[in-house]
Amino acid sequence: MQQKNYSQKKINRMKKELKVIGKPIPKQDANIRVTGKAIYGHDIVLPGMLYGAILRTEHPSAIIESIDVSEAKKFPGVICVITADDVDVNNIGYKRDHPILKKGEANCTRDEIAAVAAETKEIALQALKLIKVKYKIRKGVYDAFDALKESAPQINKFISGKFENKNIAEKFHYEHGNLEEEKKKSQHIVTRRFTLPRMTHACMATSNITASYNNVDRKLLLYSSTQVPFLYQRDMAHALKMNPSDIRVIQPVIGGGFGSKLDMHPFEPICALLSIKTGKPVQIIYSREEEFIASPIRQPMVIDLTAGVDKHGNFTFREINIVKDNGAYTSWGATTPFVIMQAFSSLYKLKACRFNAMAVYTNNVFAGSFRGYGNPQATFALERVIDLLADELGMDKAEIRLLNANEKGEVTGQGLLYDTCGHKECLETVISKSHYGKKSLANKDSRHKRGIGLASMLHVGGGAKIYRSDGCGTTLKIDPYGYCTIITGSNEIGQGSETVLAMIASEELGIDLKKIKVINTDTDVKPWDVGVHASRTSFVAGNSLLGAIKILKEKLNRKTAELLKTSHPDFEYSENKIISLKSNESIALDKVVREMHFSQPNELAIASYFYEPSSKFQDKDFKGNVSGTYAFASQAITVEVDTYTGNVKVLDVYVAQDVGKVLNPLLLGGQIEGGILQGVGYALTEELLMHEGRILNPNFHNYKMLTASDTPEIHFYPIETNDKEGPYGAKGVGEAPLIPTAAAIANAVCNALDLEFLELPITPEKVLFAIAEKKRTDKMHSL
Amino acid sequence: MNFEIINPSSTEELLGTIKSLQKEKFRFGAGCTDLLMELKKNPEENLTVINLSQVKDASFTGIKKTTNQFRLGALFTAHKIVINEELKINFPVLHQSALTLASTQIRQVATVGGNLCTASPSGDIACALVALEAQCEILGTTGKTRTVPVTDFFMGPRKTVLKSNEVLYSISVPVNNKLSKNILSGFIKVGTRRSMECSVVSIAYHIQTDEHGNIINAGVAIGASAPTIRFAKEACEFLIGKKLKHISHKEKEKFAEKVLSYAAPITDIRATAWYRKEVLFNISKSIFE
Amino acid sequence: MKEQLKNNKTKMEVLHEISFTLNEKKVSCKIKASTVLLDLIRDFFELKGTKPGCNEGECGACTVLVNGAPVNSCLFLAVNANGKNITTIEGLTNSDGSLHPVQESLVQHGAVQCGFCTSGMAMSIKALMNQYENSQHVPGEIRSEFPTRDEIKKYLEGNLCRCTGYVKIVDAAEKLFAKED
Ligand SMILES: Cc1cc2nc3c(=O)[nH]c(=O)nc-3n(C[C@H](O)[C@H](O)[C@H](O)COP(=O)(O)OP(=O)(O)OC[C@H]3O[C@@H](n4cnc5c(N)ncnc54)[C@H](O)[C@@H]3O)c2cc1C
Ligand code: FES
Ligand code: FES
Repeated sequence: MQQKNYSQKKINRMKKELKVIGKPIPKQDANIRVTGKAIYGHDIVLPGMLYGAILRTEHPSAIIESIDVSEAKKFPGVICVITADDVDVNNIGYKRDHPILKKGEANCTRDEIAAVAAETKEIALQALKLIKVKYKIRKGVYDAFDALKESAPQINKFISGKFENKNIAEKFHYEHGNLEEEKKKSQHIVTRRFTLPRMTHACMATSNITASYNNVDRKLLLYSSTQVPFLYQRDMAHALKMNPSDIRVIQPVIGGGFGSKLDMHPFEPICALLSIKTGKPVQIIYSREEEFIASPIRQPMVIDLTAGVDKHGNFTFREINIVKDNGAYTSWGATTPFVIMQAFSSLYKLKACRFNAMAVYTNNVFAGSFRGYGNPQATFALERVIDLLADELGMDKAEIRLLNANEKGEVTGQGLLYDTCGHKECLETVISKSHYGKKSLANKDSRHKRGIGLASMLHVGGGAKIYRSDGCGTTLKIDPYGYCTIITGSNEIGQGSETVLAMIASEELGIDLKKIKVINTDTDVKPWDVGVHASRTSFVAGNSLLGAIKILKEKLNRKTAELLKTSHPDFEYSENKIISLKSNESIALDKVVREMHFSQPNELAIASYFYEPSSKFQDKDFKGNVSGTYAFASQAITVEVDTYTGNVKVLDVYVAQDVGKVLNPLLLGGQIEGGILQGVGYALTEELLMHEGRILNPNFHNYKMLTASDTPEIHFYPIETNDKEGPYGAKGVGEAPLIPTAAAIANAVCNALDLEFLELPITPEKVLFAIAEKKRTDKMHSL
Repeated sequence: MNFEIINPSSTEELLGTIKSLQKEKFRFGAGCTDLLMELKKNPEENLTVINLSQVKDASFTGIKKTTNQFRLGALFTAHKIVINEELKINFPVLHQSALTLASTQIRQVATVGGNLCTASPSGDIACALVALEAQCEILGTTGKTRTVPVTDFFMGPRKTVLKSNEVLYSISVPVNNKLSKNILSGFIKVGTRRSMECSVVSIAYHIQTDEHGNIINAGVAIGASAPTIRFAKEACEFLIGKKLKHISHKEKEKFAEKVLSYAAPITDIRATAWYRKEVLFNISKSIFE
Repeated sequence: MKEQLKNNKTKMEVLHEISFTLNEKKVSCKIKASTVLLDLIRDFFELKGTKPGCNEGECGACTVLVNGAPVNSCLFLAVNANGKNITTIEGLTNSDGSLHPVQESLVQHGAVQCGFCTSGMAMSIKALMNQYENSQHVPGEIRSEFPTRDEIKKYLEGNLCRCTGYVKIVDAAEKLFAKED
C-alpha cells in the first residue's frame, strides 16, 4: 500500500520540471581521478605491510605428489609460506566446489598451490621459484563434450552426483507453449550450431587485495575491489570459518569491474590467510599476465538453436541446447542461463520455447560473470538465426523484426511483464537512422565490401531477483551546515552511480551538488545491498534514496511549518532553501536542520529506507516477473570488409536504447560507447586462446583489446518510455549496449560477403578462409 | 630483472666500455623497449647493459644528408623519422613504417638501430630499410667501421652479423635515382587492430619511375613471412622497365607470385602460414591497384 | 635524511645517483641500475597517480612526459631520467589544486569512468598539445593548425581504456584545441 502511494507521488513529481536530473553533469568523483589522487588498491601502503605472491600449478591436470617449501621459508625476507596443509578453511564458490589452496591434484592452470608473504614483492616472487612441487602429469579433459563421455574422469570431486553425468556442474530446463504444435505450423525451420569464445574483462587495474588482520581484537579488514561487498563478507567468513561481522570490507577506488568482481576468487582468502598467519597487513596485486591467466572470463559455450517461422513471418518456436564449458570449478558464470533463457524465451514475441543448458566441468579455466551475463552469446545466436529465417522466407530483415517486436503490456511465455517497452521504437529508430535497406551500401571497390546488420536485445532493467533480496538500503543525513550525506548500500565501480545518487538528492532537496557526499565503501557503515550486477544500481539504489528522501522531507516539512508558522505543508526545496509555495516565505535548509537538532524535541535530520523491487523470485520452472522492469535496445551496424586481408572495419553503429528516462546524458553516453566497443572486441578481435588447458596469449600484445584508432562512429538515440517503477522513470542501462553489438556486426559481415559465420570472434583469418572456401565451392559448382 | 649498467656519454667512452667488457656478459640498450621486455621475461644473471642512450654524439643520434645518401645515426628514433619532412617526401615507405610502429609513446624512444639489431622478422622500420637497400655502418672497438648492406645484416631470427666487439653505428639510405620523377612507395602492415600491432605480415615497397612512367628502380621487402625480413629480388627485377600505369592484371599476379616465393611463413597464435601467404599475395597485388 | 629512510624502507641497493627535475622540482636519488621510471615515481617518490596497467609498454597507463614527450615509464630506465625534465599527472595539476585544461576537459566531457587509464590519457593529450605548441608535425598526413579527430585517435593509440570506448576522451582532446582557437 505504501509502495503504491509512493509511486503515485513520483508520477506527480515527474510533471514538475526537473532541474538536475537529465542534465549532462560530470561525474562527481572525476576530479580526484583525473588528478591521480584517487586511491586504488594498487596505491595502498600500510605500515609494516608484506607482499604476497601465489604459486600456481605448472600443469593444468596433474597429481600433486609433494610440495616442498623448506627452501622458500629459509629465503631472507620471507615471512610466511602456506599450502593447503597449513590452513583450516572451507571451499568457496556457490557450489562450494573450489578449494582455496589445492591439495592432491591440480585441475586447472590457475590452481593455487602455495602462497608466500615477504618483505618485498621481488623477494616473494623469488621465493616462489624455490618451492619444489612434484607433479604426475595427467591427460586432462579440455572439451566439454569429451567431459560428458562415459570414459571421462570425474574432474571436480567436491560435488555430489546431483545430475546424471559426473561432470555436469549445473543444469537448467525451461519451456513454454506447445513446441510440437508450433513446429507443425512453421513454414521454415532453421538449425545452427554457434560457438562462443572466451573473452576476458581485462580491467585496466589488475586484481588486487590488501588484508589486514588485527590479532588483538581478531578482526579482519579487507581492502577489496569486490562489487558485492556484503555477499563477499559472508563468503569470506564461510571460507575462513569466521564470523561475518568480524570482517570489514572497504572498497578502494576500483579500476574497472564489468562483472569480474562478482565472485570471490582464491587469492582473496589466501591474502587474508597470510595476514592472519603473520599478524601483518599483506597485499596481493596481480601482474598483467596473472590477470589474464587467473581472472574470470565470459562463459564459452556451444549453442544449438532451432527456430521456426510461419508463413506470415511470425516466430513460432525456438529450441535451444547449450553446453557451457564450466572449467574446473563453478562460479556465478554457471548461472548465466537465467539470463540466456530470457533472451530466447522473451526477445520478440514467441509462441513456444524449449530450453536446455548445462555447465560441464573441464580442466580449462573457469568462467565468471561478465557484463551481459550470457546475453551477448544468446543474442548472437538468436539474431543470426532471425536473419536466416528472413532469408528462407524471402522477407526483409527489418520487417520480420518489426513484425515480431515486443510490445507494451505483453506478458511473455516466461512471465516477464513489459509494463513499458520500447522495442519497436528502438528498431524503428535504428532502421530509419541507418537508412536500413534504403541507402544502397555501395562498395568502395571490388576489394572492400560493405554490409549492414541489425540486432536487438532484452535485458533486466530493474535488478534481478536471484538472491533472497534484490534490495538496497539508504541512510540519509543532513548536517547543521546544510550538507547532505548519502550512506548507500550500493557501490561505485566507475559507472557513475555516485553521481546519479547525488543528482537525485540535489533534485529533491534543492541542495547544491557540491554539498552532497556519498558514502558507499565500508561494510561496517553502509546498509545492506546485493551489489553491482544486473544493471541494477541506479534503479534500486535510486529508488531507495528516493524513499529515504521522502521520509526525511516529512521531518523537515514538519519543522519548517512550525518555524514559518504555517499549517500548509506544501514546500519547495530549492537553492538550499525551503520555500512555502503558499506564502513564498522561505527559510534556509541548514537553519531548519539546526532547529531540528538544537530545539525541542531535538530530532536528527536523518532517515533510513530499504527498497525492495516489486520483482518476484521465479518459480522452479523459471517463470515469473524477475525484474522491476526490462530494457530493450536495437543496433544497426555497418561494416566494411577488406577481402584482401579479411579485416572488418566497423563504420557506423546506430544504437537506440529504451533507458526509461535519461538521468544524465553524459554518463549514459559513456556507458553506451564503452559497452559498444567491448561488443566490437567480442565480435572481431578478443579471444583468450587456450591449448590443452593453457592460455596462449596472456598479454595485451596478443589479446587484442581495441584502441582509440579502432573506434567506429557511434550514433546514440535514447528512447524514453518512463517506467513507473524506475527513479524518474529510468531503467538499468549498464549492460545493454554491448549485448546486441556482436550479433549486429556478425549480421553485417554476413550481409557484406553473402557468407555465414557461426563463431566469434570473426577474425581476419576466419573471414579470409570463408572467402576462399566460397571461391572453391563456387568453382566446383560452375564446373 | 637485475643488471648493472654503464652509461658512456661519447663514442670514445663507448668503445672503451665495449672493449673492457669483452670477457663478460653484456647487452646494448638504446631505447630499451625490446631489451627490457626481454629481460623482464627472461632475467639474465650477471648482466651488464651498455646504455647507448646517453651517448651524445650527433653521428649516433642525428641525421645527415649527403649527395648520395641520408645517414641516420643508430640512435635516431622512430619519432624523429616520423616528423622528418624530407624523409617523408623522399621515402614514404620509411615514414609509414615508423608511423605504424607500436605507439606514440614507444616511438619516442625506440631507435632505428634497435629495430635492426633486434632482428625480428616483423620489425617494421627494418622492413622498410631492406626495401630501400640501406647500408649498415658498423663500428668496432678499434674505431674502424665496416659497411654491410642491410639485406645481408640478418643471420636469422634475433641474429645479426654484429660481432661481440661491434656496435651498429648508422644506417644510410641511398637518395632516389636522379632520373626518378615519381615514386610509388609505402608500407602495408596487416594485423587485427589498427594500432598497437605487431605485423602479421607486412610489405615495404619503394618503386621509382622516370619521366615516361617506366620503372627504373624497385625495392620490395616482406616482413613476418620468413625467419628474417626478405628482399624480394626477383619481384623487383620483374618490375624494371615496365610502365607503372600499365601493369596488367596478369603482371600483378606474376609479381605477387614472385614476392610470395620469398615467403616461408610459420603458423603461430597470431595467424596460420596459410593466412600469411594468402594475404601477402593479395597485398602484393594491391600495390598496383 | 628522509631519503635515506625511504631508501631503507624500499630496500633499494644504492648504486647510481641521478638528478632530474620532477614536476618542476629538482630531485636526486640513488637507484639500482634496473629500476624503471614507473617504480621510481610510485615507490620512491610516492607519486601514485601514474598507474601500472601492464608493465609491458602496451597500455599507456604509466605514461609520463620526459622533456615534454610521452613515454611509457614502465619501459624507461630510471637512470635515463638523469638530467631530464619529468612530468607526471601530479605535476599537471596546478599547484593550488585546480585542474589543468586537459584535466578540466576530460572531466567536462565525461571522459573519466574508472579512471585507471586517465592519468596516462591526460599526459598523452598534454604531449599532443606540446607538439602543436612546438609546431612539430604530428603523425598524420596533413600539417594543419589543429589535429583532426583521426590524428587525435592515432596519437592516443598507445593508451588503452576499457571503460569509455574512447569517444569522450577524443571529444575532450578535440575541444581543447578548438578552444585555443
Ligand atoms: C609494446 C611494444 C610494441 C612494439 N611494437 C612494434 C612494432 O609495431 N613494430 C616493430 O617493428 N617493433 C615493435 N616493437 C619492438 C621495438 O619497440 C622496436 O624493435 C624498437 O625499434 C627497438 O628499439 P630500441 O631502441 O628500443 O631497442 P633496444 O631494446 O634498446 O634494443 C633492441 C636490441 O638491439 C640491440 N641494440 C640496440 N641498439 C644497438 C646498436 N646500436 N648496436 C648494436 N646492438 C644494438 C640491443 O642490445 C637489443 O638486443 C614493440 C615493442 C613493444 C614493447
Ligand atoms: S604500464 Fe606501462 S604501458 Fe602499461
Ligand atoms: S576509464 Fe576505466 S580504463 Fe579508462
